[in-house]
Amino acid sequence: MASVDTLHVGSVSHGHDHDHDHDHDDLPWIRKYVFSEDHKYIAKQYLISGILWAVLGGLFSLIFRLQLGFPNADLTWLKPILGEWIQNGKLDPEFYLAMVTMHGTIMVFFVLTAGLSGTFSNFLIPLQIGARDMASGFLNMLSYWFFFASSVVMLISVFLKTGPASGGWVIYPPLSALPQAVTGSGMGMTLWLGAMALFIVSTLLGGLNYVTTVINLRTKGMTFSRLPLTIWAFFITAIIGLLSFPVLFAAALLLIFDRSLGTSFFLSEIYIGGEALHHEGGSPILFQHLFWFLGHPEVYIVLLPALGITSEIVATNSRKPIFGYKAMVFSIVAIAFLSFIVWAHHMFVTGMNPFLGTIFMVLTLIIAVPSAVKAFNYIATIWRGNIVFTPAMLFSIGLVSFFISGGLTGIVLGNAATDIQLHDTYFVVAHFHIVMGSASFFGMLAGVYHWFPKMFGRMLDDRLGYIHFWLTFIGVYLVFFPMHYMGIAGFPRRYYSWTGFDAFSYTGETNELGEAIIKFADMNQLITIAAIITFVAQFLFIFNFFYSMYRGRVASANPWKSNTLEWTTPVNPGHGNWPGEIPQVYRWPYDYSKPGAKDDFIPQTVPFSETPESNLPNEVDE
Amino acid sequence: MNSILIFVSVSLILAILFLIFRIGILTNVLKGKSDQQVGSANTINAFLFVVVFVLGIIGFYLSFVHSSKYFLGEPASQHGVETDRLFWIIMSVLTLAFLVTNTMLYIFPFVYRYKEGKRALFYPDNHFIERIWTIIPAIVMTGFVYFGWLVWSDIMKPASDKAEVIEVMAKQFAWQVRYPGVSDNKLGAYHFRKIDATNEFGIDFNDEKSFDDFLPTELYLPKGKEVLLEIRARDVIHSVFLPHFRVKMDAVPGMPTKFRFVPTITTKEMRVKNGNPNFNYELVCTEICGRGHYAMRFPVVVVEQAEYDEWKKKQTPWAQLNAEYVAQKTTKELKEKYLKLNGLPVVAQPEMDSVKVDSTSNNLQALSVK
Amino acid sequence: METNSPEAFNMNPKKFLLWLFVVTIIMFFASLTSAYLVRSSDGDWLHFDLPSMFWISSGVIILSSLTMQLAYNAAAKNEFEKIKIYTIATLLLGIIFLYLQVKGWGQLYANKIYLGGKYSNPAGSFVYVLSLMHGFHLITGIIYLIIILLSAFKQSIHSGRILQIELCTTYWHFLDLLWIYLFVFLQLNN
Repeated sequence: MASVDTLHVGSVSHGHDHDHDHDHDDLPWIRKYVFSEDHKYIAKQYLISGILWAVLGGLFSLIFRLQLGFPNADLTWLKPILGEWIQNGKLDPEFYLAMVTMHGTIMVFFVLTAGLSGTFSNFLIPLQIGARDMASGFLNMLSYWFFFASSVVMLISVFLKTGPASGGWVIYPPLSALPQAVTGSGMGMTLWLGAMALFIVSTLLGGLNYVTTVINLRTKGMTFSRLPLTIWAFFITAIIGLLSFPVLFAAALLLIFDRSLGTSFFLSEIYIGGEALHHEGGSPILFQHLFWFLGHPEVYIVLLPALGITSEIVATNSRKPIFGYKAMVFSIVAIAFLSFIVWAHHMFVTGMNPFLGTIFMVLTLIIAVPSAVKAFNYIATIWRGNIVFTPAMLFSIGLVSFFISGGLTGIVLGNAATDIQLHDTYFVVAHFHIVMGSASFFGMLAGVYHWFPKMFGRMLDDRLGYIHFWLTFIGVYLVFFPMHYMGIAGFPRRYYSWTGFDAFSYTGETNELGEAIIKFADMNQLITIAAIITFVAQFLFIFNFFYSMYRGRVASANPWKSNTLEWTTPVNPGHGNWPGEIPQVYRWPYDYSKPGAKDDFIPQTVPFSETPESNLPNEVDE
Repeated sequence: MNSILIFVSVSLILAILFLIFRIGILTNVLKGKSDQQVGSANTINAFLFVVVFVLGIIGFYLSFVHSSKYFLGEPASQHGVETDRLFWIIMSVLTLAFLVTNTMLYIFPFVYRYKEGKRALFYPDNHFIERIWTIIPAIVMTGFVYFGWLVWSDIMKPASDKAEVIEVMAKQFAWQVRYPGVSDNKLGAYHFRKIDATNEFGIDFNDEKSFDDFLPTELYLPKGKEVLLEIRARDVIHSVFLPHFRVKMDAVPGMPTKFRFVPTITTKEMRVKNGNPNFNYELVCTEICGRGHYAMRFPVVVVEQAEYDEWKKKQTPWAQLNAEYVAQKTTKELKEKYLKLNGLPVVAQPEMDSVKVDSTSNNLQALSVK
Repeated sequence: METNSPEAFNMNPKKFLLWLFVVTIIMFFASLTSAYLVRSSDGDWLHFDLPSMFWISSGVIILSSLTMQLAYNAAAKNEFEKIKIYTIATLLLGIIFLYLQVKGWGQLYANKIYLGGKYSNPAGSFVYVLSLMHGFHLITGIIYLIIILLSAFKQSIHSGRILQIELCTTYWHFLDLLWIYLFVFLQLNN
């Protein structure tokens, strides 16, 4: 492969020192380190914001897991942090809901949309398609700062005296519209809506750039059939985002009108707090339609980039071409298309027309087919490979495992008949935390482990990575797998406690002390303990991340012996990515272990004319 | 004091861990290991996949055995039997798929782990295999959809005229039920503006049909008879969940919903079946509705038809329990009839004279019976 | 940016960005208007006449599209004075349009069609929301026009540097069409 040093010496286009990330010496400090327009720097800003949010989102989940796992514990020791929300050593039920809501919002939007897509679309699109930067660096920079502003607003809402939004991350009105219904629907909800409006602007600005860049700025030879699957995934994700986020914006806008200006889009016939409200003729179900028109594609906005990252990592570390490249691309496109026409499967029991229910059931179960194809193709890729277990590879295999386990249960939930019993129980919680939450989270971690050398020019520590993986992988299964059982037993979600119901507490058994055994109290405890261990294990990663950024082993140019374009840049690429001309692309990115070839990988920049020994019959340079 | 101790010891442990980490790195550097991409860790990780898989399968089996005794047991409704059967059939197929795919996913990493000098198989695609694993899931899904559709459309078909209609109303944070009364067997009208502290349902007493409606504190259901729940909410969205009956339907303010089902096991029979003499059916909320979401319990009782009829007859209509209130809210013409038949003093008003009393009105007869 | 590769899509990236942006705006208004349709099919729907001002404002915005196009044509022919005149005309017509929209709301209000409150109906609220959102987008268009005007005074718009005004023209035409769509939509469904 092309040696980095030769590229390094011949700096042409910018003529600056390329040892640093921000090589625009002529730029003022603030444009280099704060309002940078370099896609790599913006990606890092997204990543670090995402990590901070993930810690906060995880912490919130621990607060409500404590309540669920140890309902009788005295939580007075949390009073210094939570203040008024702890009364008599107990967590306030409304604050419990607030934590559930914020956990969902933060994880779905701030971590797995901004933190995942924002980081890797920004970082990899220009590097892997051979572009100097995004189509518009300025809009890209704006995109991050809108996200930042959104973060600030959302963070402020957590500290309100009335609490942050607490109507669930789906913010169904009327609950989210009426401060009388829950205190979090007052100022907390206002800030939530404000933050989401900023967030949507940020996502749209980002998405505009990703799509434009992929379409317009590919280097010579980089045809669509030679795009790495990461880029396909980011590209399709950005398109889904562009089409679905405006719809959420519309829903939020109408909700704002209902809340503040007395319109009746979603509110009707409400008697609350001792008075009948004036609203008549609104439809709460209309909001759900609008919300899930975004909400379901959002699931794939979160998941597809993770799948793209996995495709790349699995192929590289199995030293094998990805199995069925065309099928992979086709299934991404199919999933993306179908994601727009299945939204109402979240609403089977809202009293919708049964015929519509049937239609949405059919469409939903069709999604299982391209998803199954993807899963089988991953397995076929590792089959007869020569697998190197880098931490990134471990996390990718973990992702495939989650994708299968969680995806399968989606088949029962997507079936309208069986969904009646399972809807809004812990079965659903288990399903989406595994298939969407954990799988995407693993995709994000895999991406960080894999591209850390490109981001910071140093290597993450492998052994910490291994420990991190095994603790997290086992932890995630311990946390979410038991939830299936609780769901089958009918346990409803978002419950502060289940002991008020015989159905969810009575077992008829007693322990050796003669105390009644509460149904699934042991499971709930196990889940909470596993969640705490998993959460603490993430600090191994965070330590590794920040430590290695400055003290890690210096990376070589292509540490994973990968084929894609980003590894042809210098170890620390400057703004503009390639010091000389942008390399030309001659082949697809998955020529691993090609028979006859000298090495077990042939980078995309190597022309067929240089590899006569391994060329297939139809492979000649144009 | 304690917290300081904890803090100090945690810091010490962290410091020691950091030292070990540092020393580990330095020894590796000294040994010159850092350049080697694939070391012994590779085999350990590959092996761990097999270990975790085997332990995972054992854990899966044991946890299922442990948990399955806490499942809800035999469904107490006709359609529940169908949905449960469908659920377990689909779950069996899925578990099979889960085991097959996961076996490959965990065994392949071990079998095909990195070996010096080995070459992976260059195998970019195989249209035949891909077609197979597109078609097989498609066929299986078609089956699921077909059976799902059969069950779903059966559950969702409209109720017959003979169905027992019961109104369930959700509010923060309680359920209330309204029965149509024995004499006319029809629910009276309601309007949300008529709700107040006394009349929580917003029953419209300008509608004669509401005079015999009664509001018990338990949801009584007849065994073996079609029941139609008419569901509504008066503040935020709630969701009616009868776990033992496999019934779930959202309660939406301003948009009434329905759910039709047939209870098949009485409370008494269920007590015998699961050996719990204190067993009771319950109505639960499954849509986040605020602070008390987890506390919206309402007792449900299933009895034989005869006992059910008996029970219904014994109930006193709400209008009778709150006669003064109803007298204020009803129209002038109905008021006269109402008061008279309730044995209350009628304040004579001139225009009242013209009102013709129709003593054949069913509901008023019902009132006079009591 | 180097866009010389034959594989790359042959359209200026900025232009493409604008078109994508237009797509997102279309999605936004499509969801609002489909919410309108879904809601109106639920019944309890108030029928009323749209304010007469909306007819006049529609005329004004069509006229402004015309002047915008003339400004662009002038730029293509390097007629610097005309660029300024037509841009100013477009700008003024845009502001007049907004003024007329506000007047239209006044007419609605006088007609007892309210945005919110006890006597409002979603039918009326939707008219306010749709025109308000369109107006908001038009304000972004006006800001863009002001930037164009400043460039025009610096003589930096000419046939060699036509992209900026070309994008503005596209955007302005789109906003014009969007209003016509909304107006016809409301007219047909009311």
